[in-house]
This record gives sequence, C-alpha cells and structure tokens, in this order.
Amino acid sequence: MLKNYFKIAIAVLQRRKFFTFLSLFVISFTLMLLTVLASFVNKMFNDNYPDRKRDRSLYINAVTMTGPESMNRSMLSKSLVDDYINKLKTPVSVAISTWASSTNTYLNNKKISLQYKYTNAAYWDVLDYDFTEGKPFSRQQLDNAERVAVISEHLKQEYFGGGEVVGKFITADDIQYRVIGVVKDVAASSQMFFSDMYLPYTVSKKDYRKESGYFGSFRVILLAGRVADVAKMRQEYEHMASKLPITQSGYDKIESKAQDYLHAFLDFGRLGTAGNVYLAIAIFVCLVMFLPAINLVNINITRIMERSSEIGVRKSFGATSWTLTGQFIIENLILTLGGGLLSIPLSLAALALFNYLSLIDHFHLSLNVPVLLLSLLACIVFGLLSGVYPAWRMSRMHVIVALRTAS
Amino acid sequence: MFRHLFTLIWNKKGQHVLLIIEMVVSFFVLFAVFTLMAFCFNNYRKPMGLTDRDVWIATYNNTMETNDSDSLLTFYETLRRTVATLPHVEGVSYMTSNAPFANSTIQTGTQYRDIKVTGVDIYRTDMHLAKVLGMVVTEGRWFDNTDKASTTQGVVINETLRERLFGNKNAVGEFIGEDYKSEGNKGRGPRVLGVVKDAKFKGDYSTVSPAMFVRADSTDYKWLGSMIVKVAPGSGIAQEGRLYNTLSRTMKGSNIDVQHLTAQRSSINNLALVPLIVSSIVAGFLIINVALGLFGVLWYTINKRRGEIGLRRAIGATGSSVSGQLVAESLILSTFAILIGLFFAMQFPLLHVFDLATGIYLTAILLSVVSVYVLVFLCAIYPGRQAAAIYPAVALHED
Repeated sequence: MLKNYFKIAIAVLQRRKFFTFLSLFVISFTLMLLTVLASFVNKMFNDNYPDRKRDRSLYINAVTMTGPESMNRSMLSKSLVDDYINKLKTPVSVAISTWASSTNTYLNNKKISLQYKYTNAAYWDVLDYDFTEGKPFSRQQLDNAERVAVISEHLKQEYFGGGEVVGKFITADDIQYRVIGVVKDVAASSQMFFSDMYLPYTVSKKDYRKESGYFGSFRVILLAGRVADVAKMRQEYEHMASKLPITQSGYDKIESKAQDYLHAFLDFGRLGTAGNVYLAIAIFVCLVMFLPAINLVNINITRIMERSSEIGVRKSFGATSWTLTGQFIIENLILTLGGGLLSIPLSLAALALFNYLSLIDHFHLSLNVPVLLLSLLACIVFGLLSGVYPAWRMSRMHVIVALRTAS
Repeated sequence: MFRHLFTLIWNKKGQHVLLIIEMVVSFFVLFAVFTLMAFCFNNYRKPMGLTDRDVWIATYNNTMETNDSDSLLTFYETLRRTVATLPHVEGVSYMTSNAPFANSTIQTGTQYRDIKVTGVDIYRTDMHLAKVLGMVVTEGRWFDNTDKASTTQGVVINETLRERLFGNKNAVGEFIGEDYKSEGNKGRGPRVLGVVKDAKFKGDYSTVSPAMFVRADSTDYKWLGSMIVKVAPGSGIAQEGRLYNTLSRTMKGSNIDVQHLTAQRSSINNLALVPLIVSSIVAGFLIINVALGLFGVLWYTINKRRGEIGLRRAIGATGSSVSGQLVAESLILSTFAILIGLFFAMQFPLLHVFDLATGIYLTAILLSVVSVYVLVFLCAIYPGRQAAAIYPAVALHED
C-alpha cells in the first residue's frame, strides 16, 4: 500500500515541476533556518566543554541579602567559601573562579588583548579542560603562590606563535608568569569558563583573604559524588546559606541559590528565566514556520484541485474519506522529508558561513545528532501542518463535482 | 469596474482567505523589520556629538588603600599630569565607568520645579572631558577652575534634558533636583552651568537619553575607573605601550586595559546591527516565500479561468485589459489584507507602544504598504501577461 502511495507521490511530483520546485524550496529553506537556530541553541545550552560533569554539578553565582529597604546581590567571598562552603558534607569538590578581566600586553610592536581569571586548584578537577600541553597547577603551587599560568590555544598562537611553550614566560598586567599548561579554547559564549589565562588566586594583587563578609568576587561550582546526591547537595547548601548569621544592619534575610547549569547560565547572562527564553524561541519558531506553512497549504490546495478526477474515480469505487486523507498526508510527508534531505546541505552551507564570519570568538556551530533529530521532528510537524487541511478539503469533495470538473 | 471586480472576488472568497492571511502576516513581518530599520536610521542621521578619532580609553580599578579623599585627589591629579606630559598626549580626563561605547549605564532622576524626569544618564567627570571628547557647549560653560572653590555643585546637561526640564525657558543658572525649594539647600545646587549638544554615548544607532555631567568631587575619585586620553594623530602601538606602562607603574596592582574609542564604537555598532541583520534575513526569506506562493497560486487560478478569459477575448476585450483585470484583482485582494494589517499597525503609534516616535511607525507603515503592493504586483504581472496571450479560439475549443 505504502509502496503504491510512494509511486503515486513521485508521479504527481513530476507532473508539475514548477510547483514541486516551489514546495521543495519553501520546505528546505524553512528547515534550514530552523536547523541553524537549533544548532545555535544547542551550542549555547548543551555544549558541555569544559564542564563534562554537568549532571553532578551545581553552580552558585551570587549571594543576595535583603532588608525592608535595601537589597544587595553580589558574588561570593573567599571567607564564605573557606568558613562555610568547604565544610559542607555532600560536595566532593568545590571549584572557585573569578569573573574574567581584560588587559593588554605589548609585544614587539604588537598589542594583544587578553582576559584572565583566577581559580583554585579544585577548579581543574571539577572541570575537564582539554590540555594540549602541560598540566594544571597543583594545590602545592597554589599554596606557594607561584606565578604560573594555564593559557588558551588562542593566546598561545597570538603570543608565542606556536611550538612548545610550557616553561616559557608570558607578561600580563606587568607581571611575568610561567606557562605550565595550554588548554583548548572555550567558546566566548560560555562566560563562566571562558578566559585566555587561568591563574592561581593566591598570586592576585587583590588580597582575597582580606575580603570580609559574604560578598566578594568568586563564583562557585559544587561537585557531587553521584548524580543521586545533587538534590541533597542543593538542599544542604541552600539551607546553610539561609542560616548564615547576618552582621550588617538593615538586612534581615540572606539567600543563595545553587542552580543547575541551564538556570545558572541564563541567570548569569541576565537573560531572564528559562521560561522566557524558551517562550522567545517558541514565538520565533512559530513565526518562521507559520508563513511557509500557509504557503504550502495554498500550493497543496491548488495541486489537489488538479487531481479531482483521480479523487472522483477513487471515491466512486468506494474509497473512504479517511483513506484519501491518509494517502494525501503520506504523500505530503514524503515531499517534506525530501525537502528535509535537501535542507541538510543548505544548513551545512549556512553554518559554514556563520563560522566563517565568527561573530562570537571560538564559537563554532556544527550539525550533530540531536540537532538533526530536532530537524527531522520539525520536518514531520511541518508536513502534517501543511498537509492536514488540504487533505480534509479534498476528502470532502462530492463525487459528482469531482468527476464533472475533471472534464 | 471596481464593483464588478469586488463581486468576482467576493464570489470566490473561500479560496482567497488563505491568500489574504498570508499577505497580512507578511505585512506584519515587514512592519516589524521596517520599524527597526527606521528607528536605527533615524538615530544614525543625528550627529554623533563627540569625536572618537585619536581618543583612547584606559579602564583601571582604584588600588589606593587610603580613604582620605584629599590624598586620593592629589594622587590622581599627579597621575593625570604625568600622562598629560607624555609626548603624544594632548588631553586627559577622568570619568565614571559609563564612558562612551562602554557597556555600562548609570541612571538617576532629577526635577525642576514640578517637572520630573527619570532615566537620566549621570556622568561624574572633571573639567577636561568636553575638550578631550570634542563635545560642543551650546549655552553657558563647561566646568573650570573656578568650580573648585565653589560650594555649589555645578552640572552640565545635554539638550534632551534641557528640553524636558526647561522647554524653551532659560536653563543656565537654574537650580535643579529635589531640594531647590528648601532654604537650607539654596545655593548648594545642583545648579546648571551649561548645556552640551546631545552625544551618542551608546553608539551610532542608539537614541540619546537625557544626560547630566556632574563635576566629580574628591571622594568620587575612589570610583571613577575610566581615563579618557586624547592623543596626537598617528599615535600607534609604541605610544600605547608607553601609556600602559606609565599607568601600570603608577597604579601598582591595578587591572588596566587600554582600548581605542574607534574600535569600541565599531564593536558597539556591530552589536546593534546584529538584530537588524538577522531579522532582515529572516524577513527576506519569508517574503521570497510568500512571493513564490502567490506567484504559484495566481498562475494556477489564471490557468483555471482560461474559459472565462477566452470568452472575454472573443467578445472583444484587448489583451492588456485582460491582464489589467487580473492584476487589479490581485491588488484589490492585497488591499483587503493591508486594511486588516493597518488596523492593527495603527494601534502602535496611537497607544505609544515601545515609546518610539510616531514618525518612525508611520514611515514603517508606509514602507510596508508600498512593499506589499509592489510584491503582489510583481507576482501578478507575469501570469497576467500569460493570460493575455491566450487565443480565444484555443481557450474556447478546450471547453
């Protein structure tokens, strides 16, 4: 049966080549747009370099103190980490890092702009950076406040031009650091982990040990031993945070959230809540799909009217409306899947163009399995969307009318 | 004639509903994109109000341990002089982090008598900024040495804020802020010293908010964080390195970053253009889509009406009147769609959605209407011409 439908579909598609081209163009271009959007969103939210242990991690961006008149929200202080967070029972490891700051360095008549961030040694256990050379700094080196640096591939190219660089020296903010490791670039969109240089926080000019109170300049990642412990870890942390003694006057409530990656990322980029972001994407997708869908419905209706003789004959031989509707929807799905296949090379070209323009540093889009599956789903939705109404219209045709117009 | 066409369309309204929906949606898409474009273009036309050529900006953080404001002031004043004496430097000024094209905004509110204005950009700076950024003082004066001894806090406002607070009344010398009435504060300010031309601190495509420039007092120097340096034309990496070293050796332990204002400007402009480019691409694609669909449907319906057309030709209609009729039918169809679209689009300027100028909406509406008509006309003209070429004998023979 299906084989027959398939044969009919191919025959019909060859009948009016211009309309077939129209449908295929509309479908493949729409799907290309959606595929690019899907791979963008996927890269933004699901790219798990360097935090491959995301399912076991909780991210803490800020502490918030509120009072009747005032509110203060800021990153965490070193003393809060030492005195409270490190004493929690569930986390097996606690990574801390500062926000990346920019500076420049001048090298034989060339200016290099770079960003650096301070971290602790556990940062390298919690996150899985890919080292192309050397290794991260150890707890020992951190405690000794050695001036060592882990740098990114990009900075290595800019500053040294290539070759082996471990053991060489690099100057930033007028201080010399010894390079001990080189890591693969992180996309600039994952601001929590992106930097050109990673330094032990003990070498910072700002003395973090002097940060009193709870407010400071660190964000924290808690790592649980097992996925099952994450909920417990979150409860433990948030309970601890709400019980912190309040020393400043004018405040009566303190809280700090340990969030999963997605919420922390959106919260961090001030993008609003996850719900809003999804809503914005959904509206965009609807807009992009709505017009082409109506268009296809239009084209499909005109094509069906051409086949009224076929419909009339089949109906008079006893085919039910359901059979005809089903047949037409299947034909339409075959067409959309064809468009879907066409959209893959188009998407590849669009992604290549996007990567070539490199609007965001080290942010490269690629087609991967989840994105392709999403596109396939979009394809099927699209096929149904543009096939159901015309098919229903067709199946309602009276036999007599159908046969007469087929003169 | 038109009534006759309306009747023809009305008789087939069922078939046209989808077409009309399609046109309405494309009208909205065009309206949204044109609004964005008109908004950006309108801002782009206005003068920049500041010079970015040969201006560098150094950001730093205060690392001075002292809380004594006088020694702070002395330290930064000395640093300013040191930098100003570098061979390629023509002027130096301090200001808060909301420097031109920086990603930082500091806002406050102010009032004059009973007129309140909120969302006022507030810049704390010194007496050199206007010269360094090439800002134009239109009334009164910028800060100068005489303000140091004065007990009154002086402010310089931009034209937008002047317009909102004073309309066309006198501004210079007036006291603004909440306390202008109370006796105790009279004479302490803030008092308007001068008015400057609007400057687009947020890039070429941005609107100018009302703004006030306040003279930084000695306690403010703890928080300033930006140094604007006007350099001689042709200064390059060597001079920049020298400036950087001067700063990093004087401000021990500070995180220093030197950027060129021209580069900052182009990057903030690119950022503003991204939504414009993305929405144009998407809209362009949707419009091509609609055009092809329209074309296909019109072509098909005309082919279906061969009998009718043949009959008209047989009783003496010219080819051009036949194609004219078909194009006119399509245009009437799009008029329906445009009327529906207009009904919704007109709500935007009427209800002041998004706080944009009415002119921007009207421009966008006009452009959208014209575009939809042009689009439909272009899609109808070829099938119409085809219909005109039908020989009556052939068409009638088919029936």
